[in-house]
Amino acid sequence: MTRKLKKTGLIISLSFLILFLLSATWLLAGGDLLIKNATILTVTGSVIPNGDVLVINGVIKQIGQNITAPAGTRIIEANGRYLMPGIIDTHTHIALSGTNEGTDAVTPEVTMAEVVNADDTSIFTALSGGVTMVHTMHGSANVIGGTNVVLKLKWGKPSEELIVKEAYPTLKFALGENVKQSNRTLLPGRPQRYPATRMGANALIRTELMRAKDYIATWDRYEQLKKSKNPPANLLPPRKDLRLEALADLLRGKLIARCHAYVAPEMIEFLNLSKEFGFKIGAFEHAWEAYKITNELKAAGVGISVFIDSWAYKMEAAEGIAYNAAYCTKKGILVSINSDSGERIRRLFNEAGKAVKYGLTQDEALKLITINAAKQLGVDRLVGSIEVGKQADLALFSRHPLSAYTRCEMTIIEGDVYFDREALIKERAGASAQKGGLS
Amino acid sequence: MNKSLKKRQPVFIRALAPTLLGLVLIASLFFPLSARAGSPEVKPAYALVNCRIFPVAQPVIEKGTILIRDGLIEAVGPAGKIQIPEDAELIEASGLNAYPGLISAHTNLFLEIKEQAQPATPEDYMAAFSQPAEPKEFPWLQIVEKIKPKKQTVETYHRIGITTVVVAPHEGIFQGQSVVLNLNSDQIHKMVLAQPWALHINFATERGVYPSSPMGTLAFLRQKFYDTQHYSQHLQKYRQSPHFLKRPEYDPFLEALLPFVIDKKPIVFQCNNLEEIKRALKIIKEFKLNAVLTGCNEAWRASQQLKSASIPLLVTLDFRPPASSVYAQQGQAIREKAEKEIYPANTSNLVKEKMNFSLTSFGLNDTDFVKNLRAAIKAGLPTDQALRSLTIEPARTLGLEKQLGSLEPGKIANLILTKGELFDEKTKIVKVMVDGTLFSYEEKGQ
Repeated sequence: MTRKLKKTGLIISLSFLILFLLSATWLLAGGDLLIKNATILTVTGSVIPNGDVLVINGVIKQIGQNITAPAGTRIIEANGRYLMPGIIDTHTHIALSGTNEGTDAVTPEVTMAEVVNADDTSIFTALSGGVTMVHTMHGSANVIGGTNVVLKLKWGKPSEELIVKEAYPTLKFALGENVKQSNRTLLPGRPQRYPATRMGANALIRTELMRAKDYIATWDRYEQLKKSKNPPANLLPPRKDLRLEALADLLRGKLIARCHAYVAPEMIEFLNLSKEFGFKIGAFEHAWEAYKITNELKAAGVGISVFIDSWAYKMEAAEGIAYNAAYCTKKGILVSINSDSGERIRRLFNEAGKAVKYGLTQDEALKLITINAAKQLGVDRLVGSIEVGKQADLALFSRHPLSAYTRCEMTIIEGDVYFDREALIKERAGASAQKGGLS
Repeated sequence: MNKSLKKRQPVFIRALAPTLLGLVLIASLFFPLSARAGSPEVKPAYALVNCRIFPVAQPVIEKGTILIRDGLIEAVGPAGKIQIPEDAELIEASGLNAYPGLISAHTNLFLEIKEQAQPATPEDYMAAFSQPAEPKEFPWLQIVEKIKPKKQTVETYHRIGITTVVVAPHEGIFQGQSVVLNLNSDQIHKMVLAQPWALHINFATERGVYPSSPMGTLAFLRQKFYDTQHYSQHLQKYRQSPHFLKRPEYDPFLEALLPFVIDKKPIVFQCNNLEEIKRALKIIKEFKLNAVLTGCNEAWRASQQLKSASIPLLVTLDFRPPASSVYAQQGQAIREKAEKEIYPANTSNLVKEKMNFSLTSFGLNDTDFVKNLRAAIKAGLPTDQALRSLTIEPARTLGLEKQLGSLEPGKIANLILTKGELFDEKTKIVKVMVDGTLFSYEEKGQ
């Protein structure tokens, strides 16, 4: 009897396992492709001239020469053109139905993952520049903004299929002029929002984190009483506060801070806050004065996500230098280049190209928009380079992607072609009116 | 002192005299009315004979009779099988089709909606924005108290076959509570069928106050739902024993939400685009709400999710693509093409997925409702499904399937008589009966 039971149990669990495996492979299933005769910029390894890349189920299966594909596999003839990993933008605001919940200086309860707009045409614009993944964020209007989301730009797919669940969950912070609202005209009858200074911003973060600490303690006390032998009759759970829940998650290490900051002192202050409260910082955003505090950043293991050379557009960017990204890279800091824009996003490869002028090698420059970005988002085991076993997020360029004369020809995500310049031009010539990306 | 009082008294009386006289006059005017209301009203019995009957719940009766008494349907059947009582007023309806009265389960009928003036000059702009912002959240609002029925509007709706409407509030996120009305007169107390019906929620944003963004609205909704749960828990505990328990602070906002969040009365989520449908489904699941979705002109894009959630849908016949749509982002030509060719097929796509839904006139005036209904049918919505979606389906969603939605004995006598089949281009509605009250719309010379 028991043996029989055990046997049926085993069969059931086995069949469940098989079902699970089947469904898992079905979930993972991407496209099959063979890209032939490309100049492969692997980013993490050496450049492979005249190489082939075989993609099965959306994953890179084989890299080498004279690879043959299973019958029926789509073959893309690269003719020596340049194949690089899909570009990753670590800071943008595209594909969202909103940017700022600007009515309060503290809004960590809002989640950008819930307002993804897969119909945003900026997705297609980004694809046309070889971008396959974005870290799309809450704006910088608030000292503590919302939780951000990492997306793959699968144009035409439903919003939930864009979200990259493996990426770090991040919470947006912001310091300086934007949160002080120092560039706003104060309207008559409306009070200035707190904080109006950098000291205020710092104090506000400390206050909120102390409240979150209290919140954790209150819940812990409740859980303990509930578990005790004779819980008091009047025991009532504390009020669930979504704002403090998010901050508690930051303190528990379940969320990682991404902090918009410009000047050196505010970054140092934020590093101190992170030490004081024990939360993790993923990267500083914009960080124009990072070159002044490389030792501190390196010691803390905090990277930066920056523009390449568009400094001095406001007071706090006045001491920005175009050597920032290159210099910080040389000092051993993890640097990525971002667009922060639905337009600049399509020419991030140009931005990386400029880094060569400021002192980086071509390999180092390419890393700024690929593997470094992947590391900052916690997805470097999945994407960011052309390696066997990684997801086939690829971009094919007419010339070297760092050349000023290059053009993105094709953008591939998990083996599926989402942008094909040649096919698109043909289609456009044929169609009298474009309908958009959906049928 | 005394002197002055004496002097004043006549003035006082003089001033009051016309008012008193007026009051007496008004009272005398009202007296016969109130006397009439006091006595039991005798409602006539009607017999509609020789009409083609589309009962919705049963197959079509080619030549039949409908008996109506006291505002209710007494009998429905083929001619000859139903005995016509002596006291019934005979209505010869040969050549006419009889249908249940149509139901639009989401309207803003009879509400005075003020268009917000857009600031034109920089000064206006400054003035508008320097106003202290006020949130427009009224979960306690009973829209029935704001309704001013107009005879003309009632007749306009009769002419397009609608005899029952849900009137819903229209401002804010927690908009307030709706009412179901029978369009039988212009007297609100006679019209009410269900009050309140549901709490209405829209994924709107506030201007200048929290929440001002779509993600803020979601957080705000969730926080209010969590707060209501906590409030209810606290109240319950306090009621059990107030000993050593601080009393819960009275909160009118949460009080208004209790029947819906805790007692699971219906909540209607307005979903203006695909993403809002998904957001609503997520929240409904999280808080186990008894919900209905309205708007939904992109429902076909979420048909799989909607199917597995099996939540009643009130689908508007408004075909304008939402602002978030790709068709709205690429210029007027594409937007108009989508409005003509893509969005009218929403309902026929739902039919292909074997989904049930109700149709509404939400966001449309009477002529656009009729025009768009025909466009939906032209785009593949079968007419029998269209009829069900405007009768029995909304009746079920409203919890009024025992009273409304089909021509069956015992139900409310809401019906329409048409010359021609209901959804045909040239069809005219000639008679409408609501709660047994007959309205005639035959044009002269017919």
